[in-house]
Amino acid sequence: MNEGLVVFVRSIIAFFSLLIFTRIIGKEQISQLTFFDYVLGITIGSIAASLTTDLSSRAWPHWVGLITWAALGYLMEIVTLKWRYASKVLEGEPVIVIMNGKIMESALKKAKYRISDILELMRNQGVFDPNEVDFAIIESNGRLSILKKAEHLPVTRKDMNIPAQNTGISTELVYDGILIEENLRQLNKDKDWLMSELKAHGINSISEVFLVTLNPEGSIYIDKYDDHITKITDIGDYKGPF
Amino acid sequence: MRRFLIIAIPLATIILFLAVMLSGNYLKQPLGKNDDIPGLIESLIKDIQDEQWEKVNQKTEELDQAWEKVVNRVQFSAERNEIQDFNVALARLKGAILEKDRLSAIMELKEAYEHWSQLCQ
Repeated sequence: MNEGLVVFVRSIIAFFSLLIFTRIIGKEQISQLTFFDYVLGITIGSIAASLTTDLSSRAWPHWVGLITWAALGYLMEIVTLKWRYASKVLEGEPVIVIMNGKIMESALKKAKYRISDILELMRNQGVFDPNEVDFAIIESNGRLSILKKAEHLPVTRKDMNIPAQNTGISTELVYDGILIEENLRQLNKDKDWLMSELKAHGINSISEVFLVTLNPEGSIYIDKYDDHITKITDIGDYKGPF
Repeated sequence: MRRFLIIAIPLATIILFLAVMLSGNYLKQPLGKNDDIPGLIESLIKDIQDEQWEKVNQKTEELDQAWEKVVNRVQFSAERNEIQDFNVALARLKGAILEKDRLSAIMELKEAYEHWSQLCQ
């Protein structure tokens, strides 16, 4: 028995099984994970690890464990998606901990949060004075959402009656020296237009540029490979290895 | 076509993994020449009972070689412990044969058979 080879094959099985199962379970971001999702992830990862290296038992029972946990995770996701009540029971619901500037002690106790935790979460959001807060809500993923009192909210263009234009999302036209013709077509532009824009910036070939983007307003961003910057700012506070 | 591949590739991968993990029970069975573990064990027990020690020596070597072939086939789906326990039983069998100890040799062969039958179960 070649143990190294067996571990190698089992690693491939665990790796791709995990990849397939996690893609099926869903694509929530880490920041959106509830505590249960977090524990589910750790458990599935742990089962995959023992599938890889625990040669004292067959791969099959570990794999059954892996697929069962993944299937139950998927089932929970479907249930919480379709059934609002179950979602509240299983994933929890947002808790208002500050209402009209007043701390809700009973809600805090119920959510098992100390006021020092709330103050810390507020500081993480850039709020250092509880006086500024009108509403604070602990979301089901444990993050704190804050609504500041009206007098502490920043002035907007609307308040000042300044006309605003939609900025939209920039589209990549050249990425790493390669023209993305599909994006050009979507914006009703062609290669000749792009070349004339590049020429206006003193660029003769697409291969000279690292990135070109265009926003809906028609503003173009161009970055060349050759940046002509001789003095590069070093933000390191000590001399590193490189 | 792209959508088909997105479903077909993971599905084919899972089927391949299942085949690798569950093939042990089939692969431990005799598939070619000189890899019939239960047949060799049965024949060895008979020769030991008849005290045909020359034949026993030769068949023990055959059993050793057959076991190596089977291990190579089932290693990805089998548990290491059963493989090691079979190896230990085989080593003890060789010692019992050296001393022409009928009782111990048959005990070890019976144990080896049990490990073989429990392999990939």
